[in-house]
Amino acid sequence: MSSNPDATVAILHSPIGVYSLVRVKVVALRNRVSQAIADSPIKFLATTALLGVVWVGLYLLFVAVFAFLKQSRMEAAIAIPMVFSFFFVAMLVMLTVSNAIIAYTSLFAVEEAVYLLSTPVPPRAYVWLKYIETLIFSSWSLILLGLPLMFAMARANSDAAGYYYLFFISFFVCFVPIPGAAGLVLAWLIARFLDRNVRRRLIITAAVLLAGGLVWTIQTVTTEDAASDQWLTTFLLRINFVQSVMLPSSWVVNGVEAAIESQTTLALSYLAVTIANAMFLSVVAVRVVSWKFMSAFDRALSSRGGERSSAASPAVGLAGKVFFYLPMGQRLIAAKDLRTFVRDPVQWTQLVVLFGLMALYLVNVPKLSGAKPLEGWGMVIPFLNYGALSFILATFTSRFVFPLVSLEGQQRWLVGMLPLTPWQILISKFAFAMTVSTFVAFSTTVLAVIMLKMPFEWAVLQVVVTVATCFGLCGFAVGIGARLPMFEQRNAARIANGFGGTVNLVVSVMLVLTMLSGMGAVGYHNRTRGFDESLDLSTLMIVGVMIVVALSGGVAALIIGSRYLRRAEI
Amino acid sequence: MNQAIDIQSVHKHFGRKVAVHDLTLTIPRGELFAFLGPNGAGKTTTIKMICGLLHPQRGTIDVCGHRMGINGLAGKAKLAYVPDQPFLYDKLTGREFLLFVGEMYRVPAAEQKRIIGELTERLVMGDFLDKLTESYSHGMKQKVVLSAALMHDPEVLIIDEPMVGLDPRTVRVVKDLFRERIKLGRTVFMSTHTLGVAEAVADRIGILNHGRLVCLGTMDQLRAQAAAQHSLEDIFLDLTHPELQPGDGPGAETIPEETPRDKGDSHVVES
Repeated sequence: MSSNPDATVAILHSPIGVYSLVRVKVVALRNRVSQAIADSPIKFLATTALLGVVWVGLYLLFVAVFAFLKQSRMEAAIAIPMVFSFFFVAMLVMLTVSNAIIAYTSLFAVEEAVYLLSTPVPPRAYVWLKYIETLIFSSWSLILLGLPLMFAMARANSDAAGYYYLFFISFFVCFVPIPGAAGLVLAWLIARFLDRNVRRRLIITAAVLLAGGLVWTIQTVTTEDAASDQWLTTFLLRINFVQSVMLPSSWVVNGVEAAIESQTTLALSYLAVTIANAMFLSVVAVRVVSWKFMSAFDRALSSRGGERSSAASPAVGLAGKVFFYLPMGQRLIAAKDLRTFVRDPVQWTQLVVLFGLMALYLVNVPKLSGAKPLEGWGMVIPFLNYGALSFILATFTSRFVFPLVSLEGQQRWLVGMLPLTPWQILISKFAFAMTVSTFVAFSTTVLAVIMLKMPFEWAVLQVVVTVATCFGLCGFAVGIGARLPMFEQRNAARIANGFGGTVNLVVSVMLVLTMLSGMGAVGYHNRTRGFDESLDLSTLMIVGVMIVVALSGGVAALIIGSRYLRRAEI
Repeated sequence: MNQAIDIQSVHKHFGRKVAVHDLTLTIPRGELFAFLGPNGAGKTTTIKMICGLLHPQRGTIDVCGHRMGINGLAGKAKLAYVPDQPFLYDKLTGREFLLFVGEMYRVPAAEQKRIIGELTERLVMGDFLDKLTESYSHGMKQKVVLSAALMHDPEVLIIDEPMVGLDPRTVRVVKDLFRERIKLGRTVFMSTHTLGVAEAVADRIGILNHGRLVCLGTMDQLRAQAAAQHSLEDIFLDLTHPELQPGDGPGAETIPEETPRDKGDSHVVES
């Protein structure tokens, strides 16, 4: 016992290690699964089955993409490795950023941190625990997206050896800690050295630089003679950096390619390089972050304790005016949600990162496809653009819009006490979600149609379908969020990852796949006509059906959510 | 070394806001100390500094002779902290959580079982201890968190709002537990807004306002200080009046320190 000096010495000599902390988490996970199976086995099975459906859907999509690329062997020889390299470079960047965000909140912004760090848990054990948690939390999407991609890749290369599957799983597992370690150190640096004001200035500076970079890229694109014979050479030189041997993503890509070609020794050597770097960087990152971790924790906690500036930013000021069309009560709720969104960097930075990457890709489309971007690629590029945009929107609505109603449950007054009907409350939430998602989706789609030089009619079609998708996704997130709420849960991430969140994610992905099928049908129908001709009746009918599906789905979800909320005991 | 908690000239600010100003306070072993103050006075900041979660910009804090700072593990091994919002892992049962805490403090397995058994009986936790903590009411959570804090028999128990959410019977049990700990020579540092509890059980009371210790002494000394006021509530309201600015009122740095033994002899001095 601690009051016994020997016990204190024992604690100091042999403090609790990360193993014990992880074991507690494993017990909690086991309890969670047992509870889910015992409470409602059908719900558990349905969730698992629906996740399987999403996974298979993604796999079939990637198979179709690779099959399309393989139609032209020359293009496939260049495009498939390039797609692969881009995928892993994008993953490297996105995982670093998402790990940094998740690591920051997990290291510094949870009650668990206050509890564990007030006990004799050594900071290093705590940092290891959070590092492992962050890796798992941030990489599930990679597993969901990446494994179907890799399986599809194996199918595209039917001569790939059997051990290829073992290789790519190993590469995946070993690749994730590399951006994870970078994200961990980034989170620590932010907490340790940047106070709230500096952080804000840094974000603004980064945004200005990003905007400047975009302007420069657009200018470069528009002044380049993309039709010249030198285009391919220039293009390959420019994107050569994604295949640099210094990038961890290249080790994975080269290793997987070697495995496909049955070059076992080479694949093994790339795997060894990846494993060695993953282990080394993990140990270094945890050591660095553990070093003076309590100082960083002090600063992170202190920055929360300080007085916040009440000076409203322009965006916050604007929040009160954006929803002028809503009655006063609903306007106030929507404006409150918008202010919360603007003041929560976790929300808007993820949106900025995802759409920023998307915008970067879009401004580079002309470089990828020449002076006439649509020539030779028919409807494929707009189709892929729409697909990527829709999946990002589905991610946003599932992660940030879905928990909105549940989070209000803690402050009973809004859902239970305010003199507004459930329908009015849901419309406020929906208005907020539509405003944010339509703003970014509309901007990105307009950028896409400009960069692709799409004819006006086709541009309008793309924009209308995107806005309809926003409507459907927001309707689902708000409606299902009200129908399957978790009123007792305070953590938005856990609400999003719960049963209701999973149902919403699956339904949203199904909507996106339905809309994508519609877009595919439009592309197939117009494959010979091209963009130069006007929209015909069949095209308009397909689009009409898509819009009806999205709008009716969204409205139905809102009605179901509203009815449930009216009867619910909060 | 007779001090359980020794705070010397501690200063903490968040940006331009001074949370704790030049605080000097020593709590001897075997004392139940009540820490009072209005919202935002700096109580929780002080507690977090004692626990080593926040670091003072100036001054030092020792717990049982161990300096709390960057590497305050020795001090942390001596104390237990119960925050006002009890933390529990949602998907663990109360018993699993208590066993985890026991392991964390290297309490032998047999001892863990004995302590859990005793506390389960005293705090009447038998009905819910093997259920997931996510289903607990605030009071149930408070009982489990309090039990977890007592698992390793800490030298110093720091507890923020100990009675919130507890039924009257449990309040009585907790008060008894506190008194028993004092008899064993342990120390309880309690922050509360429930003035009746502070008045009833505390050996000494300190009142913090605007980050300054404006009053410190036994209940009798506080009464003597303000002869016209008879209850702790009157004294508290007088000393923490919203119109009082930082620096107004008595400065506790001039109040002589005391030990439980000489409590009756010392007196509160106004600056």
